[in-house]
Amino acid sequence: MLGGYMGKVLDVNLSNGEMKAYALPERLLDLYVGNKGLGSRLLYELTPPGVDPLGSDNVLIITTAPLTGTGAPSSNRFNVTTKSPLTGAIVNSNCGGNFGVYLKKAGYDALIIRGKAARPSRLVIEEDRVEIMDAADLWGLDTHQAQEKLPAKTGKIVIGPAGENLVKYAAIVSGNRVAGRAGVGTVMGSKNLKAVTAAGNLKPQPAQEGLFKETCRKWRELSRSHPATGEQLPRFGTAAFVNICNATHTLPTRNFQSGQFEQAEAVSGETLAEKYLTGNEGCLGCPIACGRQVMLDGMKIKGPEYETVGLLGPNLAIGELEPIIEWNYLADLYGLDTISLGGVLGFVMEAGEKGLLKTDLAFGKTANITKAIEDIAYRRGFGDEMAEGTRFLAQKYGGMEFAMQSKGLELASYEPRGAVGHGLGYAVANRGGCHIAAGYCIYLEANGPITVDPLTVQGKPGLVILNQSTLEAISTLGCCIFTTYMMLPRKLLELNARSRFVSRMLRFGFQKGGNLIGRALALPAWTLPIKPPFISFPQAEAHAHCTGRRFTMGQMIELGKRALNMDRLYNVREGFSAKDDTLPARLTEELQRSEEPRSRVPLAQMLPRYYRMRGWSADGIPTEKTLRRLQIEQNNLL
Amino acid sequence: MVTVKLYASLRLNPEEKEFTSAAATVEEALEEAARRYGPAFKERLKHATVLVNGRHTAHLNRKKIRLQPGDTISLFPPLAGG
Ligand code: SF4
Repeated sequence: MLGGYMGKVLDVNLSNGEMKAYALPERLLDLYVGNKGLGSRLLYELTPPGVDPLGSDNVLIITTAPLTGTGAPSSNRFNVTTKSPLTGAIVNSNCGGNFGVYLKKAGYDALIIRGKAARPSRLVIEEDRVEIMDAADLWGLDTHQAQEKLPAKTGKIVIGPAGENLVKYAAIVSGNRVAGRAGVGTVMGSKNLKAVTAAGNLKPQPAQEGLFKETCRKWRELSRSHPATGEQLPRFGTAAFVNICNATHTLPTRNFQSGQFEQAEAVSGETLAEKYLTGNEGCLGCPIACGRQVMLDGMKIKGPEYETVGLLGPNLAIGELEPIIEWNYLADLYGLDTISLGGVLGFVMEAGEKGLLKTDLAFGKTANITKAIEDIAYRRGFGDEMAEGTRFLAQKYGGMEFAMQSKGLELASYEPRGAVGHGLGYAVANRGGCHIAAGYCIYLEANGPITVDPLTVQGKPGLVILNQSTLEAISTLGCCIFTTYMMLPRKLLELNARSRFVSRMLRFGFQKGGNLIGRALALPAWTLPIKPPFISFPQAEAHAHCTGRRFTMGQMIELGKRALNMDRLYNVREGFSAKDDTLPARLTEELQRSEEPRSRVPLAQMLPRYYRMRGWSADGIPTEKTLRRLQIEQNNLL
Repeated sequence: MVTVKLYASLRLNPEEKEFTSAAATVEEALEEAARRYGPAFKERLKHATVLVNGRHTAHLNRKKIRLQPGDTISLFPPLAGG
């Protein structure tokens, strides 16, 4: 067996109580490794085409990776994969809660949950015991109360009232961390599953322990000494992006009507740190500890992330942190995705302003938002419709051109008319409007230290491919995607800041060469046997020493491409194609700023090239040749 | 006059989020900031991102970027998040 794995998957059917534990075939692990990649492949094999996301045939899959629980920094994440009830597409949601580590302690690399329990249930997983138990005493509790009632020293996942009530963007909560997007909690709720706990004393064993430990030590050192992961993220959290996004016109404001908010400073990471921060909170074993702990009304609670601040703040024209902290807390208690929540509220405010629907919500007014969140979670009154998401509301009341979603998933907190490559990413992302599945091109366009022209289409398809493939690979290895920030070495950042020549070269290289990079990434893995100079890649090295297999940069990129194409293949089977790779007309047709003629996303100009470079047809479908190259087989591997 | 805004770890004095300057070029404004906040700031300036009215400037000759009254220079350290 490869190092790092526990060697078993647990497969539970809640409809009939059947449980099986079995080994995953080596070829499956070789090709799809863990977390995101493995989750995608398993979903493809385990669900029939056209499965009802909330029906008993949909499957909820939780995967870990070889690095999970080994002591590798920032790598204790688990992944949830299912078919989304919000989008009808595949969803992978990544979470830094402790469940993955404990699932491995109990002896399993992955958990497959099928069927639907007849009554509210919880699943208990221990080394030598797996049991479906009654959860009548937990049903109705919020995510904190429910976790408190569960046994200590276990890894936990739970849903809140939003998941129970099948709000289409309900989340799964583990400790204080959330697998938020596209309704993974809704699927758990549809299975009548309130909670899962895992416990045990087993430990994954890295194959080359000495080398592995040494790599992790260097990784930790690098993470601590890098200005982004060692200083900015721990001190200011992810909300440090508020001010720079505001400066670069990429902070969604008033339902993405503009990219700048006049009160951005008041809701920034700096203000959060100065006025509310009481301490940092990290995912298990993470030296970065980017999570916030804040004080509100004498209570120490979790502080909001950038996405939440952006979408419940500027996007609703709210310029105070206190209510945002409270709404974030409430959303976590109810088990709601804050990104979709902010998108829905923003849409309702604008639709109300335009007279398309009647609402007591309005931009810039905190009044009634708390009640709206509660109404959504419990599907009361108009909350019942808001619980269906933005696309549903636009279909019913009109306003599709300003329904800020793609494939039905509300856009994350970046206004892409200030970074057009990021806009392309949103449109092609298999999950829908998610910044991570989009590739986070904005870091090379606007809010990172090394940037290209944010408004040109030049090089953008290639850069989106580079970023997407890297993030997919990092997620598949089980590492936090924030570990990619330290891959740009400190020295290079200094050179970029101080030397115009270096900065120009980098800009020229990324912009003019972006598409060349994209094309180069289409080459087979063996063409990149060693890592390129300057780039630090401890994640890949640690994975190699953990599993005991050579793992080159080329293999890593290929892994990312395979995972992404697997998602695409799933979606194609569900009827998705180029017709779904869209953005709301506000972003493609309306100028963000009248004085800047390029401030819209010229999506149609970028899409054909993106498809070609991905090896997809003009209809956005992977060709036979591409699938063959990536060894994506149609036959089941399981 | 132009406004120089400081963010994240470049805000060494939390009370001073920005200052106004009579600098004629970006380079001059950066030198003024370095004088104002001392060596610790200067060290951080080494890898700072310098925006003028929201546009990145690392690839431009900062000695030659002439400032207009009302311009905003924003200084950020390399950020992370998402
Ligand atoms: S960087 Fe933040 S989100 Fe990522 S693992 Fe660490 S604490 Fe969790």
